[in-house]
Amino acid sequence: MVELKNVDVHYKEGGVDALNDVNLKIYDGEFVFIVGSSGAGKSTLLKLLTREKVPTSGRVFVNGYNLSGLRSGKIPIFRRSIGMIFQDFRLIPNLTVYENVAFVLRVTDRSSRYIRQRVPYVLNLVRLNEKARAYPTQLSGGEQQRVAIARAFASDPGLIIADEPTGNIDPELSYEIVELLKDINKCGTTVIMVTHEHDLVKYFGGRIINLKKGSVDFDDYIGGSNEGQ
Amino acid sequence: MKGSNFSYLVKQGVVSVWHNRMMSFASFCILMVSLLFICLAVLFSLDIGIIIGNIEDTNQIIVFVEKETPEPELAHIRDVLDSFDYTASVDYITPDKAWEMMQDEFNESIAGVFDAIDEHMMPHTFTVSLNDITKTAEAAERFRIINYVEKVNTPFDFVNFLISIRTTFTVIGIAILIALVAVCIVIIYNTARTSVFARRTHISIMKHVGATNAFIRFPFFIEGMFIGVIAGAVSWYLTKITYESVVTLFASDIMLLDVLGINNIIGFYEINWLVLGANCLAGAFLGAVGTVFSMGKHLKV
Ligand SMILES: Nc1ncnc2c1ncn2[C@@H]1O[C@H](COP(=O)(O)OP(=O)(O)OP(=O)(O)O)[C@@H](O)[C@H]1O
Ligand SMILES: [Mg+2]
Repeated sequence: MVELKNVDVHYKEGGVDALNDVNLKIYDGEFVFIVGSSGAGKSTLLKLLTREKVPTSGRVFVNGYNLSGLRSGKIPIFRRSIGMIFQDFRLIPNLTVYENVAFVLRVTDRSSRYIRQRVPYVLNLVRLNEKARAYPTQLSGGEQQRVAIARAFASDPGLIIADEPTGNIDPELSYEIVELLKDINKCGTTVIMVTHEHDLVKYFGGRIINLKKGSVDFDDYIGGSNEGQ
Repeated sequence: MKGSNFSYLVKQGVVSVWHNRMMSFASFCILMVSLLFICLAVLFSLDIGIIIGNIEDTNQIIVFVEKETPEPELAHIRDVLDSFDYTASVDYITPDKAWEMMQDEFNESIAGVFDAIDEHMMPHTFTVSLNDITKTAEAAERFRIINYVEKVNTPFDFVNFLISIRTTFTVIGIAILIALVAVCIVIIYNTARTSVFARRTHISIMKHVGATNAFIRFPFFIEGMFIGVIAGAVSWYLTKITYESVVTLFASDIMLLDVLGINNIIGFYEINWLVLGANCLAGAFLGAVGTVFSMGKHLKV
């Protein structure tokens, strides 16, 4: 469950009001697209959800954590309950695909036995078992993003947050990425995805939140063109 | 922390030393030089202290009195020597006794000398201990003008010389140490920064997936500690070589050995393990703490 109550974000540098009085509820198991023009505040919104930023005013709740009152010592624990996917993949270049995924499990101090069975499982989910020993630079953009998805899902988080995950890959492959996120969503994980690609949104449909100059301009369900297929 | 993750992090730290080898080497060098310098300074200053102590303990002002001096005059000289404020005690050594002592002292090294002299050539000797070393020069001056006194020896001059060089070297040593510490801080700080920078993707991803700061610091901690331990071990070895060769240099001069009481100074074998342990510990501590401190503000994501 994600909830924003009367959230304002003001950047002192540049004096920008990135978000104005945003109220939002996203329930467990939902799949939400966040759209909006450049500078509308989409990334800022996601940064609130990952506790990279705190709102200037208002309150943010994620997975039962009140992020405004979260002590910095508790931030790591909170972050283990979410998975993040970025436009630029952010894989570690000198680690193999396998190690890139195993890495987050090590960080959260899982046993090596768990790691040995979990990593192949999530790599299988994104159909990259064959590439486990490859390095990120030996993969295409789409494959790299699939590794990143496997990594985000490895720790079995309740919420996955993706900031333009299809921004750096071929439009045809974008569908595949969203399909994967949809698959993960079907397992019960909430997914929030920011995107610029209207075609994708129209194709998949579902709940769409449109941000405009820092405010929620549209928040409703639309039917996707893929429905009935 | 799970064992497997522990060893993974240790490996990360050690590998990072290599990835970051230029700065690692600089850190290693400065730590090594600092530790070497501190060790040698401490050892030599302790030794000089021991030598000074030896001379102060065992040597007094030695007053030689003419062979032909009549018995009552000897008693009188003793009373005069005793009458000064700064005189702590006076001992009389008969020519026979002096002869024996001299034979004992030199029996092996230069036995041939004794063919030329015998006990009849030995003077009467008084050894005077002072309760205030600073009065040495004054005392020697007064003793010299007493009737029948032939010669006055004051080994304290050498002590004063030692004390003055020790003071000079202490001042120079502290200055060098401060400079070394400053360079140490700069280099370790930059090594840590380079190392953090090289792994910034790692770190930012770690932060995003919920690693604690302690967990993120751990490889850096290991990296610093690893460099430090090696620096400590090498500095131990160099300290050993340097110290032993300096001691050998002095010890080859038997007279010097005897006069200075060099036999009592610290033998490296006695403190070998202590120095090795202390060096490695100090190196590990400085390396690890320095690195972790330096990276503090680079951790914010
Ligand atoms: N660190 C920052 N300091 C100052 N201003 C910022 C900062 N980050 C974002 N902004 C400003 O806040 C506003 C919202 O930025 P944000 O990154 O949330 O937009 P966005 O919707 O993600 O845009 P895009 O689609 O281009 O990624 C913009 O006007 C931006 O210039
Ligand atoms: Mg953005």
